[in-house]
Amino acid sequence: MSIRSALALFGLTALPPCAAFAVLSLAASPVVPAAANEARGPAADISAQLAASSPSDPPGVLVSRQLLEESGLAVGEVVLFSADPRGARPAPFRIVGSYEPRPDPMRLGSKRLEARLHLPDLIALMADPSDPLASESVASVNVALHDRKDAAKFSSDLISRMPGLIATPTAPPPDEADPFVVLERFHLAIAIVTVIGSTAFLLALMAMRADERRETVGILRLIGFTRRGILLEVLVEGLFIAVAGAVFGVLFATATQGIVNRFFQWRYDTALVFVRVTAPIAARCIVFAVPLGVLAGLVASWTLLRRDIVALLRR
Amino acid sequence: MNPPNTPDDGRRPTAGAGAAPPIVEAAGLTKVFPMPAGPVVALRGVSLRDDSGESIAITGPSGCGKSTLLHLLGCVDTPTEGSLAIEGRDASRLSDFERSRIRLTKIGFVFQRFFLLPMLTAWENVELPQSEAGAPKTARRARTRELLDYVGLADRAGHKPSQLSGGEMQRVAIARALANRPLLLLADEPTGELDEATGEQIVELFDRVNRDGTTLVVVTHNPILANRARRVLPMRSGRLIMESPASSIVAREEGA
Repeated sequence: MSIRSALALFGLTALPPCAAFAVLSLAASPVVPAAANEARGPAADISAQLAASSPSDPPGVLVSRQLLEESGLAVGEVVLFSADPRGARPAPFRIVGSYEPRPDPMRLGSKRLEARLHLPDLIALMADPSDPLASESVASVNVALHDRKDAAKFSSDLISRMPGLIATPTAPPPDEADPFVVLERFHLAIAIVTVIGSTAFLLALMAMRADERRETVGILRLIGFTRRGILLEVLVEGLFIAVAGAVFGVLFATATQGIVNRFFQWRYDTALVFVRVTAPIAARCIVFAVPLGVLAGLVASWTLLRRDIVALLRR
Repeated sequence: MNPPNTPDDGRRPTAGAGAAPPIVEAAGLTKVFPMPAGPVVALRGVSLRDDSGESIAITGPSGCGKSTLLHLLGCVDTPTEGSLAIEGRDASRLSDFERSRIRLTKIGFVFQRFFLLPMLTAWENVELPQSEAGAPKTARRARTRELLDYVGLADRAGHKPSQLSGGEMQRVAIARALANRPLLLLADEPTGELDEATGEQIVELFDRVNRDGTTLVVVTHNPILANRARRVLPMRSGRLIMESPASSIVAREEGA
C-alpha cells in the first residue's frame, strides 16, 4: 500500500460522552495533498486508494464536522490515521459518522480537527511496535464522568482499587478556573466598565438635553411651577424613558442574539453560544438601567433648576 | 363676555376701597449683581407702592434697572437689600415654593419674547397655569375659551406658537398671564418685537385688561404704551427719578 498522505496525530485530549470512542485532535492541515489526483481532493484520493487496497472492512471512526468539511470527506469513506506525524504505520478507518465537538471557549480560535476512535483501535494505533507490551498498556486515559463533581470520589475509588495507578481530576473546581466561570467574570468586568462608561455618557447626554430645555424650565418656573413639581415631572418622564429604554434594549438583544451567535459561530466555526439573554440577565439590565436613567435625568435637571429664573430665560 | 379679572371675581376690592393693603409695596429695593469684574448695582434703593387697578409704566434707557425692578416685583428675583410686600406679606421671608405660588396665582407675566411653550398649542399654553393651580377641568376649559376669545384668538386655539404671528403670540402670552386671574400683570417690553400696528393692538389690549380690573406695571420704551399708563416712572442708573403728579399712588426714590 502506497501511503501518499496521512493524518497527523496531534494528541489524545478527552474521552467523548460515548465511552466507546476516544478522541484524536488533529493538526490544522492534517491531509497532505495528493499529487496524482488533485481534482478529486486529497482525502478522496486516500480513501479511494484505501478502499481498493483494504480487503476487510476497517474499523469505524467518528470525525468532527470541521474535519469532515476541511478535508472534503464523507461518511462511508475510508481514511488513514497514523500516530506518527510523518504518516508511518497508518491504519485504515471507515468514517461512520460525524459529530459536533463540544464547544470550548478556551479553544475558540483553533479548528476542531478531531476524530473519535474505539479505545482498542486507538490503543492499537498508538502502540509502539518495538514494545511487545505496548498494545497492552496505555500511559494515560481520560475518563469523562456524567457529573464532574464525582471526579474526586471516582479518582480516589480508582486509586484504592488499583494500587500504583495515578488518577487525578483533570477538571478544575467549577468555581475557580472553569473557562465559563472565568468568562463570566470577564463579562462582569466588561459590564461594570460599560455601565460606568455609559452612565457618564448618559449623564452628559442628559445634561445636554436638559440644557436644551433651559428656556422651557425657565418659562415653567416663571409662570409659577415649583422646583419640586418640575422635578417630579422629570422623574416620571425619566422613569418612563428608562423603563422603555431598558425594555427596548432587552427586546433588541433578544431579537438580535440569534444573528450575533450565527455570525460568531460562522466566524470561529464553533457551536459555542456567544449571546444568550436569559430572564435573570434581562431583570438585571432593567434593575440597573431604570434607576441609572432616572438618576441621570434628575441630576441633569437639578443643574437647571438650581439656577435662577432670569438666568434660565436669558438668551 | 365677562372681563378676565374684575372685582366681582371675588378676589379683592379696587383701589379706594380702603381696607386692602397695596398689591405691591417695595421699600428701598437694592439689587447688586456680583460679576467677575466687580459688583454691578442695578437698583439703588427704589421704593414703590402699587394699589389695585392702577397702571404704571416704567421707562428709561437700557441698563437703567427697569427689568430688574420688574423681576423683583414679580418675585422672580430677590433683592440684595430692601423689602418687598405682596398683599402685605413680606416676600423676602417667603420660601421658594410660596414665591412660586404667588407667581402662579397672583402675578401674570408678559415678556418681549413671549415665552410661550413651543410644543403646546395656544389653548394648552393658556390652560397650563390653571392646571398647575389645580383648577377643575371644566373651569379650565371655560376660562381658556373665555380668555382666547377675549384676546381675539378663539379661532387659533389649536395653533402652536410657530404657527402664530408675533402679535398673536403676544396675545396668547397675555391670555396665559391672565389665566389664574392675577392681581398684578407685569409686562417687560411687550411691544418690543412687534411692528407699530401690531404693537398698538397690544397696547389696546393692555388698556382693556387694566380697565377690566387688573393692576398693570409695564416696562417699556414705547411712548404710546407709556402714555396710556396712569403713572409714568422714569428710571436712571437704578433710581426712579420722578413720578406722575396725577397719580394717587406714592412712588419715590429712597433718599432722593
